[in-house]
Amino acid sequence: MTSILMNKPGATVLLMGNEAIARGAIEAGIGVAAAYPGSPSSEVLLTIAGVAKEMDIHAEWSVNEKVGTEVAAGASFAGIRSFCAMKQNGATVTADFIVNLNMTGIGDGGIVIFVSDDPGSMTSSNEQDSRSLAKWLDNPLLEPSNAQEAKDMVKWGYEVSEAVKLLTFVRGVTRISYTKSNVVLGELPERREKKAYFPELWDMYNPHKSTFTAGPSLVAHKVLHEKLEKVRELFEASVFNRYWGPENPELLIITCGSCTSYCTEAVSELKAGDKVGVLKLGTTWPLPEKLVAKYLSTTKRVLFVEETDPFVERSVMELAARLLPATCDLAFYGAESGHVDPYNEQSTDLVIKTLTGILGIRYRGRDPDYDREAKETLKIVPDRLINLCAGCPHRATYWAVKMALQLDGRKGFVCGDIGCYTLGFTSPGFFQMRTLHAMGSGTGVANGLGNLKRFGLDQPVLAVTGDSTFFHATLPALVNGVYNNADFTLLILDNSATAMTGFQPHPGTGELATGEPATVVDMEAICRALGARVEVCDPFDLEKSTKTLLRMMAEDTGVRVIILRHMCQLLKDRKKIPREYKVHVDPEKCLGDGCGCDSLCTRLFGCPGLMWDKEAGKAAIDEAICVGCGVCADICPANAIIREETTQ
Amino acid sequence: MSDTGKGVRELFEEVIYQGLCTGCGACITGCPYIVAHEGRIILLDKCTVAEGDCYKHCPRTYTDMNAVSKKIFGIPFSDQELGVTLDIYMARTKDSEIGEKGQDGGTATTLLALALQEGMVDLVVCTKMDEDKVPHGYLARSREELLQCAGTCYEASFALEGYRSIPKDSAEKVGIIGLGCQLEALTKIRQYPPEKNVNPDNIKLTVGLFCGWALSPHVFHPYLRGHYDLSRVVKFDIPHTPHYSFDVHTKSGIKSVSLDEIRPYINPACQYCWDMTAEFSDVSLGSAGSAFPGWNTAVVRTKMGADLMELAKRRGILETQALPDQRLAHLKSNALKRKKTALENIVERTGNKNDLLYVGNLPQGMADRLLEIP
Amino acid sequence: MSKKRLKREPFNLIIAGVGGQGNVLLSAFVGTALVNEGFMVSVADTFGVSQRGGPVTSHIKISGKTLYSSVTLEGKADMILGMEPVETLRALGEFGSPHVVVIVNPRPIYPPGGMPYPDLDVVKRQIMKLSSRATFVSATEEALKMGNPIYTNVILLGSLVGADILPITRETMMPILEERFPGKLLDANIKAFNKGMELIAKAQAQG
Repeated sequence: MTSILMNKPGATVLLMGNEAIARGAIEAGIGVAAAYPGSPSSEVLLTIAGVAKEMDIHAEWSVNEKVGTEVAAGASFAGIRSFCAMKQNGATVTADFIVNLNMTGIGDGGIVIFVSDDPGSMTSSNEQDSRSLAKWLDNPLLEPSNAQEAKDMVKWGYEVSEAVKLLTFVRGVTRISYTKSNVVLGELPERREKKAYFPELWDMYNPHKSTFTAGPSLVAHKVLHEKLEKVRELFEASVFNRYWGPENPELLIITCGSCTSYCTEAVSELKAGDKVGVLKLGTTWPLPEKLVAKYLSTTKRVLFVEETDPFVERSVMELAARLLPATCDLAFYGAESGHVDPYNEQSTDLVIKTLTGILGIRYRGRDPDYDREAKETLKIVPDRLINLCAGCPHRATYWAVKMALQLDGRKGFVCGDIGCYTLGFTSPGFFQMRTLHAMGSGTGVANGLGNLKRFGLDQPVLAVTGDSTFFHATLPALVNGVYNNADFTLLILDNSATAMTGFQPHPGTGELATGEPATVVDMEAICRALGARVEVCDPFDLEKSTKTLLRMMAEDTGVRVIILRHMCQLLKDRKKIPREYKVHVDPEKCLGDGCGCDSLCTRLFGCPGLMWDKEAGKAAIDEAICVGCGVCADICPANAIIREETTQ
Repeated sequence: MSDTGKGVRELFEEVIYQGLCTGCGACITGCPYIVAHEGRIILLDKCTVAEGDCYKHCPRTYTDMNAVSKKIFGIPFSDQELGVTLDIYMARTKDSEIGEKGQDGGTATTLLALALQEGMVDLVVCTKMDEDKVPHGYLARSREELLQCAGTCYEASFALEGYRSIPKDSAEKVGIIGLGCQLEALTKIRQYPPEKNVNPDNIKLTVGLFCGWALSPHVFHPYLRGHYDLSRVVKFDIPHTPHYSFDVHTKSGIKSVSLDEIRPYINPACQYCWDMTAEFSDVSLGSAGSAFPGWNTAVVRTKMGADLMELAKRRGILETQALPDQRLAHLKSNALKRKKTALENIVERTGNKNDLLYVGNLPQGMADRLLEIP
Repeated sequence: MSKKRLKREPFNLIIAGVGGQGNVLLSAFVGTALVNEGFMVSVADTFGVSQRGGPVTSHIKISGKTLYSSVTLEGKADMILGMEPVETLRALGEFGSPHVVVIVNPRPIYPPGGMPYPDLDVVKRQIMKLSSRATFVSATEEALKMGNPIYTNVILLGSLVGADILPITRETMMPILEERFPGKLLDANIKAFNKGMELIAKAQAQG
């Protein structure tokens, strides 16, 4: 809606958390931004890239989060403020670099990394609380509770970062990243005066180890801890730590991040504001111990509400242990006591439930008659399982995979990976994906299985990866396969985008984050150069794809690669590529749900553009959803699905 | 039994996975979930139809032999050695082109070519070997196409798969040539017509072929590929004498191997087959153990079969002569022995004389009599 | 703060639809309009994976006083804009209240895999039962008449504004539409918006 570059300091606009973070980084005067797409953080770099030219920022989609962080560090070493954004798994990927960066310290340019966790695993393969990384790696950690704070914390994060020469984590969750709310804009930065310069040069007359080289680490590790103590001082006085409530609350809630408003609203709903106090921590590592100790002394009962690990809970309880015997009367409620679940999202409703339990008060929700009727009604509402889009090439790919594996008959299977095609593990992809872990893991695991012929494994091993995943993490595993003589077939599902996270470009697409043209890194050439046997197919040509896959499986040895190339349908829509066919079902020919068909198209193939007309007992095309790709015409056993070329 | 309540899942559990599949191809007709690939029957995905044609039509699920016989011949199941027989004699083609291409007497091809020519049928469901000598179900609509299918292929060929490619609303008259198991399946198709497939009343002529056993393509073919350049293979033959060899005719000559080398590739399902002479047909043809070399034995079973044979003779494209008594006796005894052996194998497998797998509703006491034969 | 008043403080609006219907754009329009009118607004959508056919609910919490978290408490929805019938029911089931007002587009989107979809008449009846007032606006039908189902959400936006329950008007909305849709697209979308206002007026006149 609003241009992120609105130059009206003090104006209030509606911004998504991710947009607010982008604005914060821009207001902080960053020169470099690097990220890898990952829900729920993808919009941050997207927003920055959209204005990168005007603001003189280098914004890039890096091949993975580790390289992205290294890019930021390079800028920092030369005195330029830099920024990274990533999802939870990206934080794990980049940890090895940060561990070492913490030994050397950063340069004159501050670094802020925004990590967005996904409690409840709405858009991830796992659930993880990345805050412990900050504790493990020894970096300052800030947790915003809304979009405004997110923006402000990013800016302050640079001050903290430059004060101690450590990168600062700002940690959000899906609700913070995606909730839009009122944000008051700050000032846009002046034009950059400072020239980028790498200072740690070789001095032949006075040679010395560069600051930016890690090791020997004994001194560096000690220095790191000292830096954290300095940060703790800063955190004790931070405006991001706030308290609401009476001076001596019966119950003190210690909370942070998105849970802040759940707690304050729950207290308000229960009208318990005179009994319950809420201490919100915005600076959660290192813990501002003096501040927390002060509030611990005002109460006898403490409840911790956070997402998802008992991170603050444990830090505070460690503190309480050290403060003994002063804290010996305190009762603690949280994940450890079973009052709060250390997984999944929190919500105001959940906090209300927890509070009514602890405080022994009653809460009247909605009218019980209405509640009963409403809950009964829910029983007729069908589940809307996740699906691949109409026209998605992955549906066609998995159909060919299913056919080929059945025809081959040797009990082959697919090792899977992360992307839209991850849906191969469930019904849209016909349950063909049989392992699923991290980026690139499909091929890695296929390596392991592909070396077991000596132990009698005689099943064909397949792996799938996407085009973006290929550059992120699959490449090393592919090299490993060729080098270590593994036997597997890799299917690269090339739909010309990092689709799952919003169609961001990557090295294979020929486009930069800013929309400018880029050199195309040729995936096919790379695979051939590595020494794999490579073929390219259009997944929409089901027959050819199935035959090619069968043939490759029959070859049985070495690394084989099939690139299944067809553009993502939603990307086609964005590029206004016209529809190829008009599709309809001939009800005379349709065999419906009887013997000889059993509703193959709607029951199994499952494209959302196909629907089942219960009354007529026939399949039909849903005009509002069908994109005219025509693939269903090839799977209908009665040739009842007719596709006609459009005249455009 | 039309209310089987059984579908593809039971078909696989009771027949395919039990090693009872003869490779007739009936289940493949009109089903998108069951396919034949490299000689194996494969289930591509789950079908939820509770009562499937696949199970109903399979010759190795319960078959009411009496009902089947009534459908074809109008009479109860025959307990004769060769089944229902109107006449039996030897026959040989006088059409030189067919004589070259055909196996032994070339009678089958002659009859079918005539039927096509006369318009008694518009197409013939038969078997054709491709370049790699893999047999497939095929629809021949002309003499030329039919000639391409001439010759014995010795492998289970899923011939009825061809029946599927006839359009649902086609009025074309159909002729079919097949083995005993294929024709048994065909009779079940005629008895329980599939709702959404071509109307089996279109079937006007069935020609049966004697069969001792069939080779399983999924194991035989790798053997063939390992020993021969299949593009140079012309035909296969098991000659009458010494009848211990399997001949592969190639463009550069005949390679002969002992039958013992081929026996490991025989479909194990054949040991439960009772029908050596393809009893559910208008006329059955074969040669081994009965006809003179270069001739076929013809067992005429219906008026349709008899008329066609007469027509062929009148047209001068077929000649016949009587089958010597001794040879007839030999044929009958072989056929009977086959029925007995099949029943014995079945009973050994089920452990129960009353559970004869697919063989159902035989005439009273027939099974016992067969089993008592020394 | 705003001169206009909210019908309830805070006010909970839910927009319920299916991934791909344009739910998110709709909630952004509404949120921006409310911020421009001086309210504190929190909007939460479910993103990413939901684009692939799953339910998408946008929760919008509006206050004249303070910033709230966005997600509606169980049983506390004041208004539901349903872009699809069973999604409307789903939202009512969890968040509905006896006083909730509903505007719904009665065009079903069938879940894939042949999952049984309930009888549409039953769905409509339940929607009416579970709300204090339910108005049906055939937005997809009108959008298809305009040549593209993509106009459905802007038509519904028109109906939402026309229902006059939220403190936003056509005047508030126009500059927001202008900023979002350049050139020819703007004309089509204004047409769609007006259509939506027309439809709700008609439906409400019929009672």
